[in-house]
Amino acid sequence: MKKFFGSNGVLVALIAVLLAAITLVVSLIVSGSDPLANIVGTVTSPFRQAGAAISAWSERAFDDRYQTEYLEQEVERLRQELSAMEAKAREGEAAIEENKNYRELLKLRQKRSDLTLESVTVTTRTLSNWESSVTVSKGSNYGLEVGQCVIDAYGDLVGVVSEVGLNWATVLTAVDTGIDMGGMVARTNDAAVLEGDFSLMTQGRLKLSFLPQDALLVAGDEVLTSGRGGVYPAGLVVGNVESVHDDPSGMTRYAVVVPKADLDHLRQVFVIKSFDTVE
Amino acid sequence: MTTRHQIHKWLLYALALALVWFFEAMVLWRVPFFGVIPVLLPLAAVAVAFWEGARLGAVFGVCVGILADAIYPGVPGGMTLGICLMGLAAGAASQYGVRQTYLGYLLCAGAAMGALELCRVVWGLVSRLGSAEALGLVACKEALWSLCFTPLLYPLFKYVYGKVGGDKLEARHE
Repeated sequence: MKKFFGSNGVLVALIAVLLAAITLVVSLIVSGSDPLANIVGTVTSPFRQAGAAISAWSERAFDDRYQTEYLEQEVERLRQELSAMEAKAREGEAAIEENKNYRELLKLRQKRSDLTLESVTVTTRTLSNWESSVTVSKGSNYGLEVGQCVIDAYGDLVGVVSEVGLNWATVLTAVDTGIDMGGMVARTNDAAVLEGDFSLMTQGRLKLSFLPQDALLVAGDEVLTSGRGGVYPAGLVVGNVESVHDDPSGMTRYAVVVPKADLDHLRQVFVIKSFDTVE
Repeated sequence: MTTRHQIHKWLLYALALALVWFFEAMVLWRVPFFGVIPVLLPLAAVAVAFWEGARLGAVFGVCVGILADAIYPGVPGGMTLGICLMGLAAGAASQYGVRQTYLGYLLCAGAAMGALELCRVVWGLVSRLGSAEALGLVACKEALWSLCFTPLLYPLFKYVYGKVGGDKLEARHE
């Protein structure tokens, strides 16, 4: 090195002076940054950018983490709120439905002041293809008895109580084969017998049997309970005539009746605990 | 087998039965097929008898029958006696003749449902419930729709039997 500078020292010094002069001249000519600084800046720029990016990323990651936790808590809170509101909405819907039923019942009570009603809830349908019945939420503890009629909020016949427990009762629906009561056609006053029929039960229909041969029934005629015998109340709407047929004996006719009460979707029904007998 | 093992075993069978009952009472009745709902409790009793044999099958059949009498309408005690006999017959069949395969179970279940539906039709005719044609139609639909669930019942009770059936619990603890 010593030898190198000894033999080339002057040359190196000249080159250095020359470079310094060139830098000076260039810096004077080119306005702006120092070329050396420019070179260093250019070379280091990507590294600085990378550094800034890393810094920004780490800041964002920190923020994200904090934000995520916050958002997760927020989502959980909102989910709980939503769930509570949904529950309230469901309760509200049930209350509206119940209210509607009670409003209809009020009309019915005003119209049929002779009936003493007990509100009951349908808890289950009977698990059988051989019977059409439902279980309701009250029994002998509320004065329910076998043979009492059950109606919906509109006063349409649902069925008859067939079995009573302490806090439950079984109600045979109007289409069950166990149903047998006096019926009449509202338009013509033709009296007949309302009875369940097994093959019609599977279709959700019942029979109005022993109609006189000269009975002039048409599809859509309203069928009511006749109340004859005083066992069941009179004037409860059972359903509408769907079709009229000749009995196999040929002596009488029978009508197929579609129940007016929606027997497949019963929720709240009313047991008629007592009624005024119409002579 | 110790009493503890017995209790453990029959509790598991009862649990499987409760699962079947829940499925039938809470789910299947809402979706009737061709207007009928299936009857699964007798088939569950047959499944247990099929694995456990005639004696235990009959005892289990009595328990299932009491439950069935409580939930299905019909002649009081009819289901208790009927399902007990089904258990006895299915257990005897699997012990002495029918192979313990799915087909064997299907055969026993089919025979049990056939007998049950026949009794129902006869009872329906005697009590003037409906015409033979109408009763027979419902009986056939009910039996066939119920048998459609044997591919679910067979593996369920086979699984329970595989875990705790026979003397397995005692053998495992020896």
